[in-house]
Amino acid sequence: MPTPVTTYKLEDGTFDEMLDARGQMRPHWSRFVTGLQQLDVPTINTRWQNAQRLIQDNGVTYNVYGDPRGMERPWVLDPIPLVIGHDEWAKLEKALIQRATVLNHVLTDLYGPRKLIRENVLPADLIYGNPHYLRPCNAIRPRNDQHLVLYGVDLARNPSGQWWVVDDRTQAPSGAGYALENRVVMSRTFPGLFRQCGVQRLAMFFSKLRETLARLAPPGRDNPRIVLLTPGPYNETYFEHAYLARYLGLTLVEGGDLAVRDNKVYLKTLSGLQRVDVILRRTDDEYCDPLELRADSQLGISGLVQAAAAGEVTIANALGSGVIETPSFMPFFRPLCRKITGEEAMLPSLATWWCGHEKERQYVLKHLNQLVIKPAFQGHHARPIFGETLSKDEMDDLREKILAKPHHYIGQESVTLSTAPIWQDGQLVPRHLMLRVYVAATGDGSYTVMPGGLSRISSAQDSKIVSMQQGGGSKDAWVLSDGPVNPFSMLNSDVHNVKLARQTQDLPSRVADTMFWLGRYVERAESLVRLSRAMMYRMVEQAEEISCPELPHLFLLMGRKTYVTPEGGPIDSPLQDFDRSMAYLQSVIFDEEMDFGLLSICHHIRRLGAVVRDRISLDTWRLLSQIYRRLADASKSIDMSELLGLLDELLVPFTAFAGFSHESMTQGQGWRFLMMGRRLERAMFTATLLDELVVPQAEHELPLLDAALEIASSNMTYRSRYQTTVAAMPVLDLLLFDETNPQSVGFQFTQLSQHIDTLPHESIDGQRSSEQRHILMLLSALRLADVQQISKRDNLGRREELSTLLNRIISELPVLSDQLTQRYLVHAQPVQSLSLASQNPASLGMEAV
Amino acid sequence: MRYVLRLFFCVGTESSFTAMLYRVTHITEYHYGLPATVSHSALHMLPRPVKNQDWQSYDLSITPRPDVINRRNDFFGNRIAFASLEHPHTQMIVKSVGTVQVQPRQPMLQNMSRPWEQVRDSLMSDLTDDGLDAYQYTFDSALAPGLELLCDYTLQSFRPNRPILDAAHELCERIHEDFKFDPTSTTIYTTVDKVFEQRSGVCQDFAHLMIACLRSLDLPARYVSGYLRTVPPPGQPRLVGADASHAWVAVYCPDQGWIDFDPTNSAIVNDQHITLAWGRDFEDVSPVKGVVLGGGFHNIKVSVDVEPLNQPMRPNTQTQTNSTGQVQSQSQVQSQ
Repeated sequence: MPTPVTTYKLEDGTFDEMLDARGQMRPHWSRFVTGLQQLDVPTINTRWQNAQRLIQDNGVTYNVYGDPRGMERPWVLDPIPLVIGHDEWAKLEKALIQRATVLNHVLTDLYGPRKLIRENVLPADLIYGNPHYLRPCNAIRPRNDQHLVLYGVDLARNPSGQWWVVDDRTQAPSGAGYALENRVVMSRTFPGLFRQCGVQRLAMFFSKLRETLARLAPPGRDNPRIVLLTPGPYNETYFEHAYLARYLGLTLVEGGDLAVRDNKVYLKTLSGLQRVDVILRRTDDEYCDPLELRADSQLGISGLVQAAAAGEVTIANALGSGVIETPSFMPFFRPLCRKITGEEAMLPSLATWWCGHEKERQYVLKHLNQLVIKPAFQGHHARPIFGETLSKDEMDDLREKILAKPHHYIGQESVTLSTAPIWQDGQLVPRHLMLRVYVAATGDGSYTVMPGGLSRISSAQDSKIVSMQQGGGSKDAWVLSDGPVNPFSMLNSDVHNVKLARQTQDLPSRVADTMFWLGRYVERAESLVRLSRAMMYRMVEQAEEISCPELPHLFLLMGRKTYVTPEGGPIDSPLQDFDRSMAYLQSVIFDEEMDFGLLSICHHIRRLGAVVRDRISLDTWRLLSQIYRRLADASKSIDMSELLGLLDELLVPFTAFAGFSHESMTQGQGWRFLMMGRRLERAMFTATLLDELVVPQAEHELPLLDAALEIASSNMTYRSRYQTTVAAMPVLDLLLFDETNPQSVGFQFTQLSQHIDTLPHESIDGQRSSEQRHILMLLSALRLADVQQISKRDNLGRREELSTLLNRIISELPVLSDQLTQRYLVHAQPVQSLSLASQNPASLGMEAV
Repeated sequence: MRYVLRLFFCVGTESSFTAMLYRVTHITEYHYGLPATVSHSALHMLPRPVKNQDWQSYDLSITPRPDVINRRNDFFGNRIAFASLEHPHTQMIVKSVGTVQVQPRQPMLQNMSRPWEQVRDSLMSDLTDDGLDAYQYTFDSALAPGLELLCDYTLQSFRPNRPILDAAHELCERIHEDFKFDPTSTTIYTTVDKVFEQRSGVCQDFAHLMIACLRSLDLPARYVSGYLRTVPPPGQPRLVGADASHAWVAVYCPDQGWIDFDPTNSAIVNDQHITLAWGRDFEDVSPVKGVVLGGGFHNIKVSVDVEPLNQPMRPNTQTQTNSTGQVQSQSQVQSQ
């Protein structure tokens, strides 16, 4: 029987990772392949389906630029790892440490004495003509001259089997978190295989990185606070930022969470400003400080360069380190290495010719049709031009461009990448690949290499472009151990030095804000589901208007909650106006354009959940994204008969979320804001519900009261207390006043009051804060109300006194929400740049003289 | 409450009867509609030491008093001050006052300067400190890129083998003649190619344009920010505070160093110009840059006054005046 391995076909003229040129298995692959052959194809397929689901459920995504809708793309992982032998890896390791050391030295020199330029090792053009050379950063001298803390390098193997450096990532290399996630999935999916092969673990590398970051803190900071700075959820690798932050135990922050005061960097938290000592950044150089770098940046921290120059904060990697990741530096690595270390470079760089030099320019122009042309000073988003694909006119055009600004261009050898097997339809087929490897500083001037990496594969067999942006996939890289594997894990490190901490002190205000809104939206969505279910049930089950007098009121209530009334005016008799009513209900549930409709609220829930993914548990995040997915899927094919079932089904994840948030979330400040959001929204909803169903004049009151109990899911409680007598007074008591009923307004108020009291306060003379007074006022208004009095109807048949109380609650709750926002959440006022604001010269009060 | 930063300069000993003495007052006021919580500013207002200038006194004061002040030199050797107001404020006033003695400059020898092609080529391999420093000003910067479309215009003055300063002087005169001074025609967002197309602008535009022209031929040119003494129309009194920040251009010639040209006034710069700072373009030396948290709507008022304190006897002045007898010096922007 042919196994997946025997059908594997080699590609001519390329190096294959698994088989040699004669088709023989390379020795370091044999253990893996033997293990794989012991599993049959269906087993592999089943396990792999489970792995894919794990990836999807874990929310591993990769955002694609310029894809506004559904920009999150699920991560693509191949089940066959790239296997690398121990001896080969040991050599690579040495070479990469050498390279990192040299590059760090180059950065120290370029942002310092610039001797390499004076001594003509590097042409001055490489910094003066390079927009990524940031002159303001010249003032910064990083601690221990450690510019490069985490370094990423792309490697490729040429047809003769030699590894080459294709690309250096020196400012904020991405992918280490994805590599880690790949490893988690692989070791869970093929635990036996993983153990048999003796694969080196990744955890030690991350532990060292964490240790180095702490060592780089400014002097005298014993227990340094380290944060991971992200550009935010719209960044292509946001998933990874959240993932790494959680794994390394760092606080995930956006630029707006930090502030510079007195040359120091602070994190804006609920308990005030907390000093930040080290920033591991994923925000690009230029965007880090709107004061001294890009004035139009919304992602940075004003004054950060000055804080770094004052030595009050360590930034990893140092600001400005992006300068050497432009490809124009490639051809100079060899002489730099010789000059700096006195040794030859152990790993060659991809052959690159910088056109700023006469001889190289001639070479590039002569071989234009064989080379890859790139802008000399652009980052990784620049598209390379493949000379062989150009027409004659395009070629002439390019030649002219190069001649006009030669130092702006480089030519690079077009590489044939090696191939490795991927799993496709039960078979192994070859794909081109590139390997990104990570190197971290150890804090004492040396470096350590992550034993593994992120290998990326081309999307099609003949494709040369290997890029996640362009739809390729990824692989885990297994570096084999020559002895027993060090079973180190991040979680059980340093058992003896752990300090007990009951609370995370540094909850960023922005995170609290997100939790608050997450709570509000979840509650809002759940009440919409209950309301629509009640309406739908009545629409389907009832034939006559007379037996269902509450239905028009429910339509009015829906209008109040969604701010959208049915097209063509209010619906007086829904059952007669059946089609219009159903259309309205459907749009409330499925119309994405409707801002307060169910689908767009669920979309918000998913978005907010993604932002605080590092704060809520993985299970919770899965639940939240499941709600939206289920609803969005259903919206594509709506069948009326299934709608009621769908609504029933949707209540399950909501209930589960409520359970999770009580049973498995730590009841810290983040949780408190989630809860306050829910309480506030529920009080709002119940008050509106009573205002709509209990206040107005009604001939038959019973069905209205029943509906109120049902939608507020309190009918069970009611029946157990009052058997069958449904009357206004006990209903009001249960839904409004009873502080033991989790659905009542009174319950929400007592809870809110407790939460607010627990928040950090700056108390002046023991006085209550404005929001403490506000909730006390609401709670007292409720407690002082007389339930008998309030249940009475006036001579017009309305419960006017009840209406006054409810409307006071409905209008005062948003004030409370604003007060909370003001005090705890709005540290993020709008930031404006002074130098860009005065657009009109006439406003300067000057006349031409 | 205000903060005063005082710099002491060595007072020149060879104070000569030919030197001009000025008092310069430069006030920038920011007024906010709502209280601003925090503001961070970077100020390029402290004068850098320059050969022919002696600052006898200089004060930079900021009201309200900043919570933090830092000073450092920037990449180009200018002095830069950082001020942070970390408490709510509804205005910020930055006032700089100084008395400066300006000596007439050494006359330049424009016909004895080297051919421009030689300057261009020699800089590419010049590893001296001056040479390397000058080389950086041959590269594009955001506001003054050496656009290809400026080559032809520039080459009309830069004929083969012509001495660089001679050619630069002619380019300066041509810009003065070909372009209309018109403060309404541009904003700080107007790019060099637009200025070139519409043939009008203010001093900052002309400085950027001349720099861009020189860079289109890979020649070193830098942006100088400072002040200009203005002369009122005949018979009218000098208006206090009606002056403005000014900007002009300096061109590098290996034997003679940096020579200043003022395309707005078609002048070789002498003792009517007071240098503050220089860089690749306005962005590097913008007098006040800042980021405010909150503040709502804001407006900015700027006044500059250059008052001559003496009237030395001088044979003639090289500053030329326009048809109405005025010197033009308005720059636009941001910050003045």
